[in-house]
Amino acid sequence: MTDRITPEWCLAMAHLELGHEVGAGLHAIDPVPDGDAEGSDESRLALGRFVSLARRGRGLSIEHLAELADVDVGELLSIERDAHHLPDTRTLYQLAGIFGVSQHKLMGLSGLTRPKDIKYVDEAIRYAALSESVARLSKEEQAALDGLIAVLSERKGK
Amino acid sequence: MTPTGPKSISQVALKDMAAGTGVPAEYWRPITDKNLADWEVHWRPAIDKQLAVLNEAGVERYLWPQSREWDWRKKHNILNAAPGHESAAVVAAGVTQGMMIADLDFRARIAEQARQHMVYVEFLEVAPWNRKTLTGGMPKYAGIGTLLLGKAIELSIELGFKGRIGLHSLPQSNDFYANQCGMSDLGADEKYNKLRYFEMTPAMAESFLSRGEQRDR
Repeated sequence: MTDRITPEWCLAMAHLELGHEVGAGLHAIDPVPDGDAEGSDESRLALGRFVSLARRGRGLSIEHLAELADVDVGELLSIERDAHHLPDTRTLYQLAGIFGVSQHKLMGLSGLTRPKDIKYVDEAIRYAALSESVARLSKEEQAALDGLIAVLSERKGK
Repeated sequence: MTPTGPKSISQVALKDMAAGTGVPAEYWRPITDKNLADWEVHWRPAIDKQLAVLNEAGVERYLWPQSREWDWRKKHNILNAAPGHESAAVVAAGVTQGMMIADLDFRARIAEQARQHMVYVEFLEVAPWNRKTLTGGMPKYAGIGTLLLGKAIELSIELGFKGRIGLHSLPQSNDFYANQCGMSDLGADEKYNKLRYFEMTPAMAESFLSRGEQRDR
């Protein structure tokens, strides 16, 4: 039988795994929750919108922000554009530091932790919904960003 | 009894993510006592460290690595004693980087190949330092899961199953099997803790193997 899985094949295919976890098999510990328990797409959209607005508000490209935060560019792109993406805890820690908001609340928005107070999640979603994607921040977007920062900071809405 | 040495070894390679280069690796059949010892000595402490970080950060338990309580020695001892199972491991830099156990007595579910024999990947796990996790950090080696999947296809062909394979994906891996490997997603399986079931037809398997050969040229 011909062995098609050569070292060259392995290296050519290794890129498929980048950014993915690979595992298979029945586990007997925690049942897989229904969709709702994994954090809503709306709250992740709000997180992505916040990162996008805050980044643009500072005039940063995704690459520049990735460099500042010492995180992967792909991770930032996924946070901004993919509502199904679960961010790394380290990434949220870095972003919270740069944008001056609460890491705990960013984790709540992402679905990594279960927010004790869901009011700020609802508020963040509302502010995110007010903004639209354009090259520069409009007054409305700036207002939405200010609102998001206020909601996601430690001092307000605890 | 767990074999002390592999019955067959083939040469493969992994990508060293920090260096961006390939490193030589070996594909062992079956899993040996050395592989299980590596799991005990190297994998478990690394998993415990990752869990401590996730716990400290307050990450929801259902987002922790689902394989965190897998006991490969137990799994291997039970399945090794049962007929119709094959096991394999990937070894690089002297340490086990991934392991797989396959059930050869499983029947396909996709309508066009329903009830036909296939290789069912019962368990597949890569070493904790090779995983993208919620704690961040770059995996040490990439390519282990892909090569184990490729080897499962080869085993299927070797057994006359024409490349048909199937598996129940861990929740974090659904996207990998559906979008990176091109497997058919047959949805959440109520009988398997709602894990999603994925399957490959011979055409999908051939497409998967060919992709690596085309990129190689």
